[in-house]
This record gives sequence, structure tokens and C-alpha cells, in this order.
Amino acid sequence: MRIAELLDKRRQGWIELERMCDSFRSVKYPFANNGSLVTRFSALYRAACTDLAMADQYQLPPASVEYLHRLVGRAHSQLYRSNQFGPARWATYISKIAPQSIFRDPCVKVAFVVFFGLFTLSAMLAWNEVRFPGFAERMLGAEQIKTLETNFDKPLDRNFDQYVMMAGFYIKHNTSIGLQCFALGPLILPSLCALAYNAVVLGASFGYMARSDVDAGDVFFQFVTAHGVFELTAIALSAASGLRLGIGLFSTGGLRRLESFRLNAERALPIILASVALFFLAAFTEGFISPSPLPYFVKACVAMLSSGLLMYYFVVLGYPRPDIERELADNEDNPWRTIGVDRATR
Amino acid sequence: MNPQNSIDLTAVITTPENIQFEYRIAGPFRRLPAFLLDFAIRMMCVIAFYIVAFIGGLTVSLPVGLILFMILLVSFAFDWFYGLFFESYWNGQTPGKWLTQIRVISVDGRPINAYQATVRNFLRLADFAPMVSLEAFVSEAPPAYAIPTFLVSLICMTLSPRFQRLGDLAAGTMVVVNERSWVPSNVKLEDPRVASLSEHIPANFRMSSTLAKAIALYAERRSRISVGRRTELASHLARPLLKQFHFLADTSPDLLLCALYYREFVSKEAFSDAKRYAPPVAREPEPLMAEIAPVAESEVMPSPTPESLPPVLKTPL
Repeated sequence: MRIAELLDKRRQGWIELERMCDSFRSVKYPFANNGSLVTRFSALYRAACTDLAMADQYQLPPASVEYLHRLVGRAHSQLYRSNQFGPARWATYISKIAPQSIFRDPCVKVAFVVFFGLFTLSAMLAWNEVRFPGFAERMLGAEQIKTLETNFDKPLDRNFDQYVMMAGFYIKHNTSIGLQCFALGPLILPSLCALAYNAVVLGASFGYMARSDVDAGDVFFQFVTAHGVFELTAIALSAASGLRLGIGLFSTGGLRRLESFRLNAERALPIILASVALFFLAAFTEGFISPSPLPYFVKACVAMLSSGLLMYYFVVLGYPRPDIERELADNEDNPWRTIGVDRATR
Repeated sequence: MNPQNSIDLTAVITTPENIQFEYRIAGPFRRLPAFLLDFAIRMMCVIAFYIVAFIGGLTVSLPVGLILFMILLVSFAFDWFYGLFFESYWNGQTPGKWLTQIRVISVDGRPINAYQATVRNFLRLADFAPMVSLEAFVSEAPPAYAIPTFLVSLICMTLSPRFQRLGDLAAGTMVVVNERSWVPSNVKLEDPRVASLSEHIPANFRMSSTLAKAIALYAERRSRISVGRRTELASHLARPLLKQFHFLADTSPDLLLCALYYREFVSKEAFSDAKRYAPPVAREPEPLMAEIAPVAESEVMPSPTPESLPPVLKTPL
């Protein structure tokens, strides 16, 4: 057998494989319900693989070897496609893996302590005019206090157009900020600063508005009560996800630095997804319920209902239980899995 | 071609078939056009949606708030979920990547999954950093930090062995070139002197594999080189060989290399032990493509007849 003849022979198989790759490009599941197609394709693919493996021994010309590398690469990415996430996999992820991994994450705890600690502290300082005079004014600035007061000095009434538009605005604006917090996580400081800044400013606004001599306070609390629970939790969670991502670069836990970064990005993912979901919920509540002239009682009920919901999801579903831990120990979607983690992080 | 020693930017993948093959990694100059194309497509989609929403909304007299809501939602979705959606549904390609023929895959060669697509697209913003304000160029412009400098991604790409940006490092992905290349055809050597000269090459001359590679590369490319350059290039190799073969010193170097190519790749029996090589296709033959009807996995495959085999399989190598 001469090399030129060998190439002539093998070339037909390669061209057929090439044609199959071309025809699959626009098809979503080329192999679905077509067993003979996949056997034919994989037979041709294996033949091309063998040709490539033997290329050195046959002393194939370099152009043919280069061509085979490309061909095998194309066929490989057609044959081994990404796994589709079925509904069962989604259900496990949402109901078990996400709450479990959020609850156990120390970064979430740190972010919550920082956020709600600073928030409460700042609210107390701004509220107590007698002991800490001028705190709210220095934190917020006289300009912003005036804007706050004028925003809330007349009772809430908006029409449907404004409700819907503001819901859209809150989704775009607030969720983008949350996602930015996540994206800036590798630098750690921006996430933490954004978190602390938000805590202090929001706390000061709440404290200032709670003063008995501020007239706009009633309307302000009418407005913020309903969506506050979702929104504040979402802010804390988005910073927690950024923190988790950044921690991976510094505290590697025995892994190589890049591996640790990659693993921690996987761990940060359920947190940011939960945060995005909460921003969406908050936006709809803020768009439709908060500005409506519903009685305060209803809005307080919404707030309690949403706190109950969050408690159920993050604490009841998230509380570590041995049976769930055993079940998830080797689940490949679980970022805190203990079995097979070395294989995945290799 | 030892990948560890090569300066070429290739990533070696070991497949489940235990075959190693190489992907060419796409660098920043290949990825920037893809990004710009994606950006343009995204902008066009959003603007088209604006126009459709306004015209459609006003003719059907939808409430203005609802139109604005949809516009805000769509622009938000395009900002954050465009890459994520396409990369997870188009097997690692966005429209821009498809046009520039690159693809995102995991570093271990598997296709990317939804997690990886999410992580690498959410982290895009960190790769843009630091952002430059518009004020830097026009003094009246508002201080909006809107212009990405891509410094973080460029530094990451320079430092990482696979040209990965920060999002790629976090997701464990890389971007590879996904081009099809032309099927290599055999080199045409029309000069009749080539065959006759090749017979005069001493029979005991054994070519090393690196020499064979060099000669094959030369023969494949010589048609694109002018005659003067051919002589110049070929004489480096040809001069010592002419002396070794005791040929006349004025033999054309180009002709000698062609003769060597002819002897090595066209006329020589490359391997006598033909049975050693049995391609996997020959062992598990299937009917021709044209005859394949959709059959369920569980059905018994029809046993092939010699006629139904593709021509490539009929003669065992």
C-alpha cells in the first residue's frame, strides 16, 4: 500500500464524515431517534481517530495530519454534545441543591451579618436625632433627603401604565446592579464596598424616615414594606455570591489556585441565581403592590408572606440533613459534592 | 509534533476513544471580531424590537406602560442572557462566534453545559474592566463609565496557557477555532523527469521522518512559490543530498525534492504488514447512508451485504 493510495482510500470516509458534520450544524438533536445514523457517524469518527493516531506511523503528509486534527475536532463536538437539563434535574437543583449550598455557605453568612448589621446600626444612628445629631444628614446629604421627602410627601396613587413601566425599570436596573456585584466579585473589595454602602445608605434612609417628626415617613413605609424583604435579601445574596467568587482566589483549600477559582464560581452560581430570582420578585412587588393605595395591613401581610417564603426556602429546605447530604454527595450538579470532586476538578 | 514543545497555540484533547487530537485556540484577535459582531447583532435586535413594539403597540393601542415594560425587559434580557442562551443551545456558539468560526468548549474537550455558559457570561463585565468614562474623550459628555478597555481579559489571556479570559478561567472553558479545512488532495507532479529521477536515487537511502515531513511540506506548497524562490529554498536541503547521491551538481534542487517526494509518498510501499491496520469501520459495517431509514435503537440492525458496503470498506488495507 502506497501513501498516495491510502490517502485516496481513506479520503472518502473523511468526506462523508465532513458532510455529516455540515448537515448536523443546523439540527438541534441530530441523533435523536436515529440509531443507525449515530452508529454510522461514530464508526466514521472512530476511523478518522484511528487514521490520526496512526498518522505518525504511516508518515502521512503534514497537511493531511492537520486536516485530520480539524476533522476529528469537528466530529468530536458533534458527537459529544452538551447534556440538556431535563425537568427532573432542574427540580433537584432548585429544591435541594440550591438551598442546601446557599445555607451552608459561610460567605452568605458573612454578607448577611455585614449587610443587616450595618443596616441596623445605620438606621439606629439616623433615627436617634438627640444622641447622634446630623448623622443622617451627613450620610445621605441634604440634597438626597429633600428628594426623599418630596418623593413621599403625597399619598400613593399611580395608574396602571406607571405600575408596569416601573416594574420593568426595577427589573433592569436592580438586577443589573446585583449581577455587577457578582461580576466584580473576583476583586472582592468592590462587592464588599457596594454591600456596605447600600447597607449604610438604606439604613440611614429607613432611620431618618422613622423619626416621629418626619411627615413623609408614613408614605415611605407604606411604599417599602411590601418589597423590602425580597429586595434587601437579594442585595445581600448578590454580594455574597461575589464574595464567594473572590474568596476562591485567595483561600484555595489545598487546590491549585485556578481550580479553586473554578470550583468557587460553581458554588457562587446558585447564590447569584437565587439573587436574580429575588430581584425579579422584588421588582414585581415594587411595581404593582408597593405603590398601590392598598391598606397598610395588606402590604404588611405581603411582607410577612414573603419572609415566610424565604424562611421556608433558605432555612427549612436548606438546613443540612444527613439523608439529603448522602443523596447529593455524588450528584454532579452539587458544587459541594464530596464524592468525585477530584475527578471533576482535575 | 510534540504539543509540549510546539510554540503553536494548540490544546491537546484526549477523547474517550483514547485518541489525542489538537484544537487550535482562538486568540484575542479572533475573539474581538466575534464580540463586536455579537454586540452589533444584539443592538440591531433591540432596536428592531423597539421599532416593532412602538409601531405595533400604537396601532393595537396597547398601554404605553406595557410597551415600555416589554422594551426594558427585552433589553435587560439581551444584555445579560444573550451569550448564555446561545452558548447553551447552539453547542457553544453565538451568532458572532459562528460567523468567525470559533466555539467555546470545556478545557477537557467536552462541550460546555449551562453552568459554564452562565458563569462565563455573567463574568463578562469583570473582563471589560476597567471601564473608561465618556468624559475622557468629550469634556461635555456625562461621566458614564461606558467604554470597556478589556484590560482584565487581555492580562488574563496573556497569562493563561489557553488564552482564557477571567470568565473562561472561572467556568473552565476555552475558545477554539472550529474551521473546516479543505480535504487535502495528493500533490500533482506533472513533470515526467520526476519519476525517472526518483529511480536513480540509491535504493538504500532511508528518509528520516522529519526529512519526509519537510519534503512533504515543500511539495504541498511549491505551486504557490515562484521558480527562483523554489530553487533558493530547495537548495538548502538538496545540496548535501546531491553530494550524497553522487548526482551532477547542476541538477535542479526543486526537481530533486520532487523526486524524493514521489519516491517516498507516491511510489514506495509504505508498509508491508497490511493486516496490522484494520480500521474500525471495517469491523462493524453498516448500510450505506442512502439506505438508512430511521430505526429505533432496539431494533436489530440489518446485516450488511458486501454490495451495501461503502467503496472504502471493500478492500481491506
